[in-house]
Amino acid sequence: MNLFQSITSALDNALAKDPTAVVFGEDVAFGGVFRCTVGLRDKYGKDRVFNTPLCEQGIVGFGIGIAVTGATAIAEIQFADYIFPAFDQIVNEAAKYRYRSGDLFNCGNLTIRAPWGCVGHGALYHSQSPEAFFAHCPGIKVVIPRSPLQAKGLLLSCIEDKNPCIFFEPKILYRAAVEQVPVEPYNIPLSQAEVLQTGSDVTMVAWGTQVHVIKEVAAMAQEKLGVSCEVIDLRTILPWDTETVCKSVAKTGRLLISHEAPLTGGFASEISSTVQEECFLNLEAPISRVCGYDTPFPHIFEPFYIPDKWKCYDALRKMINY
Amino acid sequence: MHKMLLAALSRVLQAPAVSGKVAFRVMVASRNYGDFASEATFEIKKCDLHRLEEGPGTTAVMTREEGLQYYKTMQTIRRMELKSDQLYKQKIIRGFCHLYDGQEACCVGLEAAIKPTDHVITAYRAHGFTYTRGVPVREILAELTGRKGGCAKGKGGSMHMYTKNFYGGNGIVGAQVPLGAGIALACKYFGKNEICLALYGDGAANQGQIFETYNMAALWKLPCIFICENNRYGMGTSVERAAASTDYYKRGYFIPGLRVDGMDILCVREAAKFAADYCRSGKGPLVMELQTYRYHGHSMSDPGISYRTREEIQEVRSKSDPITLLKDRMVNNNLASVEELKEIDVAVRKEIEEAAQFATTDPEPPLEELGHHIYFNEPPFEVRGPNQWIKYKSVS
Repeated sequence: MNLFQSITSALDNALAKDPTAVVFGEDVAFGGVFRCTVGLRDKYGKDRVFNTPLCEQGIVGFGIGIAVTGATAIAEIQFADYIFPAFDQIVNEAAKYRYRSGDLFNCGNLTIRAPWGCVGHGALYHSQSPEAFFAHCPGIKVVIPRSPLQAKGLLLSCIEDKNPCIFFEPKILYRAAVEQVPVEPYNIPLSQAEVLQTGSDVTMVAWGTQVHVIKEVAAMAQEKLGVSCEVIDLRTILPWDTETVCKSVAKTGRLLISHEAPLTGGFASEISSTVQEECFLNLEAPISRVCGYDTPFPHIFEPFYIPDKWKCYDALRKMINY
Repeated sequence: MHKMLLAALSRVLQAPAVSGKVAFRVMVASRNYGDFASEATFEIKKCDLHRLEEGPGTTAVMTREEGLQYYKTMQTIRRMELKSDQLYKQKIIRGFCHLYDGQEACCVGLEAAIKPTDHVITAYRAHGFTYTRGVPVREILAELTGRKGGCAKGKGGSMHMYTKNFYGGNGIVGAQVPLGAGIALACKYFGKNEICLALYGDGAANQGQIFETYNMAALWKLPCIFICENNRYGMGTSVERAAASTDYYKRGYFIPGLRVDGMDILCVREAAKFAADYCRSGKGPLVMELQTYRYHGHSMSDPGISYRTREEIQEVRSKSDPITLLKDRMVNNNLASVEELKEIDVAVRKEIEEAAQFATTDPEPPLEELGHHIYFNEPPFEVRGPNQWIKYKSVS
């Protein structure tokens, strides 16, 4: 299955297992603009898979309402760039519901899915990676898969998790990534990073599409510099697996973090800060962050903007030679 | 003998549907066979009204010059959009491209009713307005291809085109409407008798910020005309499936509204004139719904036929195409000849070809400009790049 098919499979499992589950968003009824919800309406009926009008704030607010009564709400925001009208609902309402009601009420049954990340031609409003904005908000969980196999397990975990979750799906991988994915439901635990490749010299951390970039960089480093890299996919951005990352850095002494979002205030700054607190004496070189520029996501300049493997390789080399 | 000839002429010329007054003018002007009428009067559809005692009239006068200018402008926009379609399919234009063909009467009609000092803001289907607000075709096409000769220096693309008194070109649905109200407030504040047209689509009409804006505009009596370009489909969703009420002109509730036939340029012009006068007189905002249609899909990645039938598109093209309607009116009322309009077509085609040539050969903006114009600042500062060793200067 490719990524969008694995999402459909996950939603199919969720709707089958949980009779209160509903899927809604803009254009989900016919299958969605990325085909993530194809066939679900025919299978589960139009009262469980339905379209909403063009109103992100309304979609999320509505989703919170459904979740509070105990039904499972799976909302789709058509592009992560459009999530901002709903930002108030997510940050002020969804994230704080349990806390402010002293656990009397909660909207844990809410999951918000949104296509995320650069896609080659998205320009300003179809390429953003807003995970850093939400990482600053206690009360929600932010999850980003790197592949179809991961996506299905993580999405099912988000849906079953008793906290409101935001699930960002790398849109460039929707068709590009293909893997063998089981048809039955399975879960991948949240807040656990995965070490994809063990190494001894440098730790590299990324999530979503960028994981594939750093895997390539790890191969390049091994081949050209004889450097052994440990590659970690963070998977859950909030709450993130500090233990795995810090243990790894304690072993290698060098850390490179990479993401598409702009450098200033990006999630790499949080990881960097925590790691230097925990592993200060283990560090051999300053922590390197290879991220997007501090500009809005450009239209014509995109190939220069994204942190591609050459930029990461260059940063890695500088770290090794520090 | 002369009198008999004139009498015969007047009988012949009275055959097309033209009011009695005009026949006189036609007759006088047609003393020589080759001449055309200088103007004609046309019947236009009555507008549905909401909270208005009376609306725009049911007749419109159009002079020959006006007609030719509208024709040329609409044809330019049509050909420009079709050229963009072609360039997109050749992958010379990338990214997103939302085409305006079918809706030309809206932008040309609106521009005809307002002044260049008035202000316009719209959403992403903006190429038509960019042209009517004064950006030459070559700069529009160059912006689409991302070259430095483009109106936003190649950094904006299809959805972000701007010029004097035209504020774009906005990607996020509905976000431009509160901006429009702000512009209207500035108009009122500066007291130069200017108004603002804030346009949005039938999909955006369901966004919360639109209703917030209606409230502010009505409360403070802002000179803002809210114009809903209802092309019946919000991306792929038909209006019946998205809106509890498809009477978009009534959605302002406490704001008076008009529903206008958006395929008839004269209807749009008269309604816009009426609305502009209303706003300029200080009575507050108005909502206008233009019923129009787009031939292309929502964007270039949408074939446009999965949610509507080819027959429907064909029917609109044959019965209500704005350019054809104008052409028929002009020819039938002796305001222009078929040959003359054909000449305009040829000239337009040539202009578009040249513009496309420019757009494909102009160089892209230089890499140094990546960091420019983020902020307004006196000393240039450095923009951090992907890692601590790459920095770009930001100058503005």
